[in-house]
Amino acid sequence: MAVNYSAKEEADGHPSGGVGVPGGGAVGGGSGGAVKTRKPDNTAFKQQRLPAWQPILTAGTVLPAFFIIGLIFIPIGIGIFVTSNNIREYEIDYTGTEPSSPCNKCLNVSWDSTPPCTCIINFTLEHSFESNVFMYYGLSNFYQNHRRYVKSRDDSQLNGDNSSLLNPSKECEPYRTNEDKPIAPCGAIANSMFNDTLELYRIDNDTKTPITLIKKGIAWWTDKNVKFRNPTGDGNNLTALFQGTTKPVNWPKPVYMLDTEPDNNGFINEDFIVWMRTAALPTFRKLYRLIERKNNLQPTLQAGKYSLHIGYNYPVHSFDGRKRMILSTISWMGGKNPFLGIAYITVGSICFFLGVVLLIIHHKYGNRNTSADIPN
Amino acid sequence: RSMNAFLIVYLCILISKALINTVLKYVWQSEPFRDEPWYNQKTEPERKRNLFLQALTDFLAFMVLFNYIIPVSMYVTVEMQKFLGSYFLTWDEEMFDEDTGEGPLVNTSDLNEELGQIEYVFTDKTGTLTENNMEFVECCIEGHVYVPHVICNGQILHDCTGIDMIDSSPGGSGKEREDLFFRALCLCHTVQVKDDDSVDGLRKNQLSKPCIYISSSPDEVALVEGIQRLGYTYLRLKDNFMEILNRENNIEKFELLEVLSFDSVRRRMSVIVKSSGGDIFLFCKGADSSIFPRVKEGKIDQIRSRVERNAVEGLRTLCVAYKKLTAEEYSCAQKLLQNAKLALQDREKKLAEVYEKIERDFILLGATAVEDRLQEKAADTIESLQKAGIKVWVLTGDKMETAAATCYACKLFRRNTQLLELTTKKIEEQSLHDVLFDLSKTVLRHSGSLTRDTFSGLSTDMQDYGLIIDGAALSLIMKPRQDGSSANYRELFLEICRNCSAVLCCRMAPLQKAQIVKLIKLSKEHPITLAIGDGANDVSMILEAHVGIGIIGKEGRQAARNSDYAIPKFKHLKKMLLVHGHFYYVRISELVQYFFYKNVCFIFPQFLYQFFCGFSQQTLYDTAYLTLYNISFTSLPILLYGLMEQHVSADTLKREPSLYRDVAKNALLRWRAFIYWTFLGVFDAVVFFFGAYFLFDNTVVTSNGQMFGNWTFGTVVFTVLVFTVTLKLALDTHYWTWINHFMIWGSLVFYIVFSLLWGGIIWPFLNYQRMYYVFMQMLSSGPAWLGIILLITVSLLPDVLKKVLCRQLWPTATERIQNASRHCREHISEFTPLACLKSPRYRSSDCSHSPARRSNSHSKKMMFTHWRGIDYSVLPSVFGYSNKQGRSRAGYRYSGSGLETSV
Repeated sequence: MAVNYSAKEEADGHPSGGVGVPGGGAVGGGSGGAVKTRKPDNTAFKQQRLPAWQPILTAGTVLPAFFIIGLIFIPIGIGIFVTSNNIREYEIDYTGTEPSSPCNKCLNVSWDSTPPCTCIINFTLEHSFESNVFMYYGLSNFYQNHRRYVKSRDDSQLNGDNSSLLNPSKECEPYRTNEDKPIAPCGAIANSMFNDTLELYRIDNDTKTPITLIKKGIAWWTDKNVKFRNPTGDGNNLTALFQGTTKPVNWPKPVYMLDTEPDNNGFINEDFIVWMRTAALPTFRKLYRLIERKNNLQPTLQAGKYSLHIGYNYPVHSFDGRKRMILSTISWMGGKNPFLGIAYITVGSICFFLGVVLLIIHHKYGNRNTSADIPN
Repeated sequence: RSMNAFLIVYLCILISKALINTVLKYVWQSEPFRDEPWYNQKTEPERKRNLFLQALTDFLAFMVLFNYIIPVSMYVTVEMQKFLGSYFLTWDEEMFDEDTGEGPLVNTSDLNEELGQIEYVFTDKTGTLTENNMEFVECCIEGHVYVPHVICNGQILHDCTGIDMIDSSPGGSGKEREDLFFRALCLCHTVQVKDDDSVDGLRKNQLSKPCIYISSSPDEVALVEGIQRLGYTYLRLKDNFMEILNRENNIEKFELLEVLSFDSVRRRMSVIVKSSGGDIFLFCKGADSSIFPRVKEGKIDQIRSRVERNAVEGLRTLCVAYKKLTAEEYSCAQKLLQNAKLALQDREKKLAEVYEKIERDFILLGATAVEDRLQEKAADTIESLQKAGIKVWVLTGDKMETAAATCYACKLFRRNTQLLELTTKKIEEQSLHDVLFDLSKTVLRHSGSLTRDTFSGLSTDMQDYGLIIDGAALSLIMKPRQDGSSANYRELFLEICRNCSAVLCCRMAPLQKAQIVKLIKLSKEHPITLAIGDGANDVSMILEAHVGIGIIGKEGRQAARNSDYAIPKFKHLKKMLLVHGHFYYVRISELVQYFFYKNVCFIFPQFLYQFFCGFSQQTLYDTAYLTLYNISFTSLPILLYGLMEQHVSADTLKREPSLYRDVAKNALLRWRAFIYWTFLGVFDAVVFFFGAYFLFDNTVVTSNGQMFGNWTFGTVVFTVLVFTVTLKLALDTHYWTWINHFMIWGSLVFYIVFSLLWGGIIWPFLNYQRMYYVFMQMLSSGPAWLGIILLITVSLLPDVLKKVLCRQLWPTATERIQNASRHCREHISEFTPLACLKSPRYRSSDCSHSPARRSNSHSKKMMFTHWRGIDYSVLPSVFGYSNKQGRSRAGYRYSGSGLETSV
């Protein structure tokens, strides 16, 4: 043991032996001479005497914290709540499960029905939507977060890797190959891409004016520009680049025909990218189109009658799903979400209340404790 | 120990979680559109798999998903904490002994936290409580007392050849006896002389030849040295002739004929010598009990009373007797010895018989008294340990009176301690049965009326009991009896012991020591025991106890080598238990609980998530987060806490032993604490998960309308988790050194930097890029920030509230001290924390006292020397007095000096 410890001290870089110990003393044993001392160093660390801040949570210290939290949280909560309430949101369920619904006829649509089943839903906006409007589609009871589903994709294929394009990852099974040709994009996520088409018309005195829906800027910039890339090769002809692959089973068209514009086609099609970001919960919405405000004089969507033209391709009835179209304006804190505001107000109030309770307790019991402990 | 129980609970939770999820999964999947919707179909082999096999796979998959709830990394951290933490013990300067140049040794680091849980301390007396540094104090020849008053602090300051004669000068025959007595002491020993000029310069010997005596027994050395101071110097053994320098500086030679060596059964030894005049003497020295029956003449009564007085004072006594042998007698004896020595069978037995024959018909010369001084601060240490709620048992081989006096001196027994005796003498009077029942009746009558509070060491005037038991009585109790009712006696004995604040076991054989330790260890409360000793005879006890501590003392290193910890002095036990043990325990218990807590927080959201992802074993967090959570995001702060935390300062712990009771009986690792932590973990997990759930539920949280996916959801939960768990530890930390700051804030910064980096690039070697820009996107969202802040606040709130309320309404002693020390720091800087709490008696620190105390002790010692002839019974009461007056400053001084005063 002795050897170990002295070796340790030297290894520490604190050569011992500063203080000489008078050897032996009254013992009278064999401990004569100047024995190399093993006295430990008197450093603050080794003696556990490092200077330290020693905070203690007492009612006294916590009280102000509670009041401050309360005073900060309640205004924030009110702010959020007000903001959230000012957001306009309009939602239409167009699943068509009710017989009265115009889309009821399309309920049992299959993937490859041509021509697509279309239905029209008219609706009225009570209030005008002043700022930019975001158009979402929403699905319910759709488990995009199922493990088998989440992993069923090949990120390197989507990133434009040519070898993965022709030899997709095993994770894509059973959507990996079709008739001995690799599927591009492979996997369950891509295969089940949402393919309803939604068009919005404003009805003004029985004339329908189409509203311009912008399809760019709905996906994350980094996804569109970095994470998703078309395969590389000679030329820009996507058809040639995707040579040797086949379309996903459920798709009507191959991936290189998703759009006419070349910078929104193939893997970098934004609708596709949006779909590929799997949702966290079984009820979710995804950004579909943007409606930009034209000028400052007119609201983006005036109050009035509108009609939604739906190209109904996406079957959800088989798994009890619902489909929705949502129009929403956005504030600095996103869409309508009363939860955050209410939660802030609640927590703030609780803190404030606890602060008051603690104050009372502190006054009632605080003195008793200290006086009991000091007898003199 | 409770860690394993907790682990089993967690294992059960894990299995039940996995089972629940598996069952629910199959219930949920019973509808085919859920099991295999068109958008998410299974592969062929998956579909064909046997249902049972599938269920099993699912179950195992859930187990894998939730396995983090069993904190594997905890074991690593606990081991590291123990190993590194034990260095603080060896580094402790206060536990380093300047005299011997020894510091504490840690032979195992497994038991660090047990040091904070000790309930019974079994201590050896000689060499442990006492210094095992014998000093010749007085001798009594024919009733005349001789005192060489030249001893100071264990060193001979000046050689004095004079004798203090307290009694009147002896007459002619007395003179002769006196000479004989001194010669007997000079001759009757097995001391060897080592001539050495270089060895020891400190031993100032005014003789021309400095010499050191070496013997297996320190008593003999003390005697020979004492006699040297009385004028007779043993020079050497040369060619079987023992040379003595007598008072007239003449060398006398005696031929050493036989040595009847010492053994612990006879408890005496003899030598047969032939003087230069041709006379043959047999000198014998030994324990009073073995000498007196063999004496035929001499002033037995006077000497006996003297011996008894000395024993009561805690001196080790030996009686000296002689007998003159004629040539015939000697040759006869020699023949007998020769035969016995040459016997092939039963040599020991035959030798003993021969010794028995030879050693008889003595003429009693006198008695010696050798003092074994108490170790420095032994009394203080024992007092502290008792205040800390630790029961101190002294196990010794010495005789009862000596041991009892030592116990009084080291405050094991106080003046108001009612002594219960369970000795052979008493058992001879009544039967063992009656004695035991009487004792238990006495003890239990009181303990019934005593509440737990009066047991606290702070009130010294409560009635407490001290039990004295000797080896013979113990073996009677332990002896299994034919009718199988031995358990009854044992139980009864244990019951008595449990109600005694101090127990003294004397006349113990080494194995009996271990037997006692075992008896207590296996009693129904399973207390943690500690045995401390210095010699080879304590090894069995050291090995038997949970924690064995060796004193690096004079009787070799055997005890130190066999122990778990070795310390240079008994007084170091105080700091070891009260400070280091307490710290270790507080640290490790927080560490264990915190580990369980943080893993519950970590895994429970995953469990909840299964309800929202179709029980598909989808992970909530990214793989990197899953892997690194326990390894790097949350491990270092708690490890550091485990090394550095000091909830109250070391000085306060040392000054206020009763704080030890706050952690006694595994207080911080009881089921209540464990359940509290677990529920806190579950609550936090629910807050994390549902907070994020409502934040994300079917809404947009970005200002550009874009949506977040499942990985962002997981990242939000994980961020809240890491921050909450780290801040929770920050709230628990009472001792913030720069290292703590560095680690706690550092690990949070590390988490952020790592997340930025992990999501910052497309990692070429990964086949998925799910985390790409997820963290940055999350940071760009206002509601995510607000949500994270809110959730962290909400999760920390109940714990803060609980802490503050408990501190305010039901403060523990520790918390009171903390409050007080805080109070003190703020207001009166010169007062130590305790001064505010109790009384000003401890106002100045120990070090400033010690010089005064030392000088005090010297004068006191001289005083005692002179008092001896007058009143002996005053002694225990002196200590009792100082105890009672302990609250006054003067009284404190007095008792402080008493610590070092030898008896």
